[in-house]
Amino acid sequence: MKIHILILFTLFTCLVLAQEGKKVQFVGGARSILTASDFSSNEKDTITVGKTTGGYALIDLGIKINPNSRTEILGMFRINNAFGGFWGSDVTFGVRQLHVKGIAGKGIRYQLGNIDYKLSPYTCYNSNPDLILPSFGTTSIKEQIINYESFYKSNTWRQQGAAVDFVLDFSKSKDELKFKGFLFRLNPSNQGTLFERLYGGGSVVFNQHKNFQIGVNYANVFDVKETAQNNDVYRNQVTTLIYQYTYEFEKLKMELSGESGFSNTFSAEQKNAQLNDYFIHFKGNTMFKKTGVSLEAGCMDNGADFRSAGAQSKRIDFNQQNSSYQRFTNSQIVRPISYYDLYNDPTLYSMQFSTKLMDYNPAINNVLPYGIATFNRRGAYFSVNYSDKKERISTQLKYYRLGEIRGQGTPSLRKFDYFIGSVNFNPSAVFHWKKSHTIFLAMGYQYTNRMSKLALESIGLESYTLNFGVSFEMLDKLYFIGNTFWFKSNGNEILPIRDAKGTIINFQSTKIAGSENCLSGGLKFEFSKDVYLSVFYEHNTNSFMALNPYQFNQFQVVYFMKF
Amino acid sequence: MERILHLVIIAFLLVGCRKEELKKIDGPLLSDLNGKFSVITNLKASRDSIDFVTNESIFFTAEFSKVSSWKLEIIGQKSGAIKEINGVGNKLTNSETTWDGSTTLFPIFQTEVCSARLTFTGEKDTLLTTINVNQPKINKGFVVADFESALNSGWSSFVQSGANMDFQVKSNNTAPQGGGYLNMAGTVDWDWLIGLINFKATAYGAKTFPLSSNPSNLYFNVLVWGEPSLNNSLVLFQFQEDENGDGNFSSNSEDMYSHQITINWVGWKLISIRYNELVALVNGTPAAASGNGVFEPNKLMQINMLHLANPKSGFAKAKLDYLIFTENKPLQP
Repeated sequence: MKIHILILFTLFTCLVLAQEGKKVQFVGGARSILTASDFSSNEKDTITVGKTTGGYALIDLGIKINPNSRTEILGMFRINNAFGGFWGSDVTFGVRQLHVKGIAGKGIRYQLGNIDYKLSPYTCYNSNPDLILPSFGTTSIKEQIINYESFYKSNTWRQQGAAVDFVLDFSKSKDELKFKGFLFRLNPSNQGTLFERLYGGGSVVFNQHKNFQIGVNYANVFDVKETAQNNDVYRNQVTTLIYQYTYEFEKLKMELSGESGFSNTFSAEQKNAQLNDYFIHFKGNTMFKKTGVSLEAGCMDNGADFRSAGAQSKRIDFNQQNSSYQRFTNSQIVRPISYYDLYNDPTLYSMQFSTKLMDYNPAINNVLPYGIATFNRRGAYFSVNYSDKKERISTQLKYYRLGEIRGQGTPSLRKFDYFIGSVNFNPSAVFHWKKSHTIFLAMGYQYTNRMSKLALESIGLESYTLNFGVSFEMLDKLYFIGNTFWFKSNGNEILPIRDAKGTIINFQSTKIAGSENCLSGGLKFEFSKDVYLSVFYEHNTNSFMALNPYQFNQFQVVYFMKF
Repeated sequence: MERILHLVIIAFLLVGCRKEELKKIDGPLLSDLNGKFSVITNLKASRDSIDFVTNESIFFTAEFSKVSSWKLEIIGQKSGAIKEINGVGNKLTNSETTWDGSTTLFPIFQTEVCSARLTFTGEKDTLLTTINVNQPKINKGFVVADFESALNSGWSSFVQSGANMDFQVKSNNTAPQGGGYLNMAGTVDWDWLIGLINFKATAYGAKTFPLSSNPSNLYFNVLVWGEPSLNNSLVLFQFQEDENGDGNFSSNSEDMYSHQITINWVGWKLISIRYNELVALVNGTPAAASGNGVFEPNKLMQINMLHLANPKSGFAKAKLDYLIFTENKPLQP
C-alpha cells in the first residue's frame, strides 16, 4: 500500500513540476519472459521435477527530473509480477536506482546516489573474464538481460556514494588537467565484528594536445576505525601511473599506452601477512588507415602479490549454487554452475566487488580468471583486428602467451596459451541484398601446462569454446536466429584453497573432462533498436559430471524494451 | 618515432628488472602434501632421563618426507598417565614437542619409565622411544586436600545414613594424583545431600587459608571423577569468608561464594575456576552476596564440599582428588 501511495505521490509531483516548466522525462525499460524447461539426466531420478514453467513481467519506471539546466534527479521503481500470481500476489515493488547529478560552479560535475563507475583496468574496472566470447543471437539476448539486471555498462561497477570530476583548461596551449574523485560505501558496520567499509580514490590526468596523456590513479578500500568491536581494519591501496602517446601519419596511426603501479594490502593486526607488489603493463597499437587492419602487441607483468579489489573482483563467484535445478538424481547431487547457467541465470551475478579472492572455474578461464589485472601473470600478447569499410566482414584475433611469476605449491611455474577470435560476416553487404543477414563465429582456446619431475605437480588443461550463430532477416524486421554454443575441457588442475585472509593453505586436485553443447534457434522481431520480441528453443547437453550427464532444454519467449 | 622507441625500451627494461621469485612459493609444497610418506629421521628424545623438579626440560625430534598430521603420546608405564601433543608438519621440533611433565589424560605422571609413541593420520608407521622420569612435576600452589592419607582430623564431615554409603579415602592405582582419592557414593532417597566435608583453615594452622588477596589471578582446582552410566551427582563447593576477622562465619553478614559442578562425564576431569568467577547462591540461584560483596580470598576461612544428588535419582557416585589453589593460571597437572 505504501508503495502505491509513493508512486502516486511521485507521479503527482511530476505533473506539478511539468506544469511549472521543469523538464520531466520518463525513462526505463520493460521485460517479460515466459519459459518452459525440461530437465533430465541419465540416472534414475524420481525426485527432481523435470518440467517447469515460469516467467514474469516487469517494468522499470524511472522519472528523470531536471529542476534546472544543471541538475538531474533520477528515481526508478521496479514492479515485478511473477506469472501465476493474481490480484497482486507475487507482485514485488522496489527501488532500482536513485541519483542526483549536476554541475556546480563553473564546471564541477558531481553525482550522488547510485553511480556506475570505472577508473582504469588495474584500479576500478569490471572485467568479464567468464563470458570470454562475444555473444550473438540467443546468447546476445541473454547477455543483454544479465547486463541490464546487474548494471554492467562498459566495465563499470554499480556503487553507492559520491563522485566528482572537473577539468582545468590551459587555453593557450590546449592542454588540460582532468581531476576525478569518488567515495563509495561497500558495506555498513554491523556494530559487532564488521567494519564500515569504504572505497575511495581518484585520478589526475594531464592531456597534452590530445596526443599525449599521463596521469595517476589511486583507489583505496578501507575500513573505518572504531566502527566495529576490534581493531583489525583492512586496507587495499592501489596506485597506478597511466600513459598514452598517439602519433598519426598520413596512412598510419600509432599509439603507445600502458598502466603501471603497485598495491599494498594488509589488515592492521596482521601486518606480517601484508602483501605488496607491483605490475607493469604496456602496449603498442598500429592502425593502417587504408586497409582497416590494426595490430596490437603488449607486455604485462602482474606481481604475485598484486591485489586490487576494484579490478580483480569477478562478476560471478563460483562458490554458489544455481537457482534452477540446483540438485538432481535420486541422490540429490548438487548441479555445478555450467556455461549455460552463466547465460541463463542473472541471479548468479554480483553487483558489488569483493575484497576476498572469488572462486573461479579453471575450465572456463584459467589464464586470466580475474581479468587483465589477474595477479601472478607475466608475458605478452598480440592481436590483429580487421574491419572492412563496407562492413562485409570484421574480425578480431588475440593471442596471449603468459606464465606465472611465482609457483603455487612448487617452484615449477604454469605456462598459459590463450587464443580468442571472432569473425562477423555480412553477406548482405557482399551480395547487395536488401535484407540483413549475418554469420558469426567466435572461438576461444586455453591451454595450461605445468611441467614437473614430480607427477603430482604436473598440470595439463585444455579448454575450447565456440559460438557459431546466424541471423537471417526473413521478412521486414523479422529475423531467424540460431546458435551453437560448444564448450569442451579436458585435463587436470591443482587449485589453491585459501583461508579467509587469502593465504593458500592447501590444494585441491581436480580432474576435468566433459563438454557442453547448446543448440538454439528461433525468431526475433525488432520493433525498433531497443524493442524486440523473440521466441526461441534451446537444447543443452552437459557431460562434465561423468556419471551424471544431463540435458536442460528450454523454450523461451522474451519481450525486451528500453525507453 | 624515436620517442616511442625509447619508451618501449624503458618498458622492456622495467619488465626485465622484476625480482626473481623462483625461490618463493605460495602455499605449502605439493610434494609435502601429496608425496609418499617415509621416515627420514627416527623419533628421538633430547635426553634419556628427566627430573622435572629441577626444572629440566625435554623435547622430541623426528623428520619425515611430507607434511603430515602427527600425534605424540608420552605414556607412563606404571601410572598409565598420558601426555598428548598434536601437530602438523614434516618434522617435530623443540618448540612444538617440549614436555614440562604435564598430563593430558589422568592419572598424573609418577617416577617411572615412559614410552613415547609417534603416529600419523592415514599412515601405518609408528615411531617409539623411551625416557625415564626421575622426579615428576611438582605443581605450585596451596594443596587443600590430596587424600594421600585418612581425612584430616581438623576437617569436619557428615554422611547420611542411606543405603550403600561409602564416603572415605581409598588408595589404589586409579587415583589421578598420588595413590589416594575420596570416594563418595550412596543412595539417599529423602534428601539431596549425600555427604559433606568442611575443610577448615584451622586444620592448616591459621584462621584463614594462606592465599593471595587478588581474586583475579587465583584459581581453585579439583579433579572430579564421573562414574560410567551415572550422571546424577552434583558437587557443590562453598567458600566462606571471615570478613570481620572474628574467627567465625556469619551467613547474614559475610560473603559465601559457591561453585556447583554437574558431573556429566566419565572418568577423571580437571575443574578449574577463577576465584572472582565464583557466585553467591541462594537455593541454587545466583544472588547478591550477604557481606561486602568483595572477593577476598585472603579471608577465606572454610571450604565446604557437598556431594548432592536428586533423591529420586537413586544411587549416586563420584570421586574427588587434588583440591589445590594455584596463582596466575589454572592447574596444569
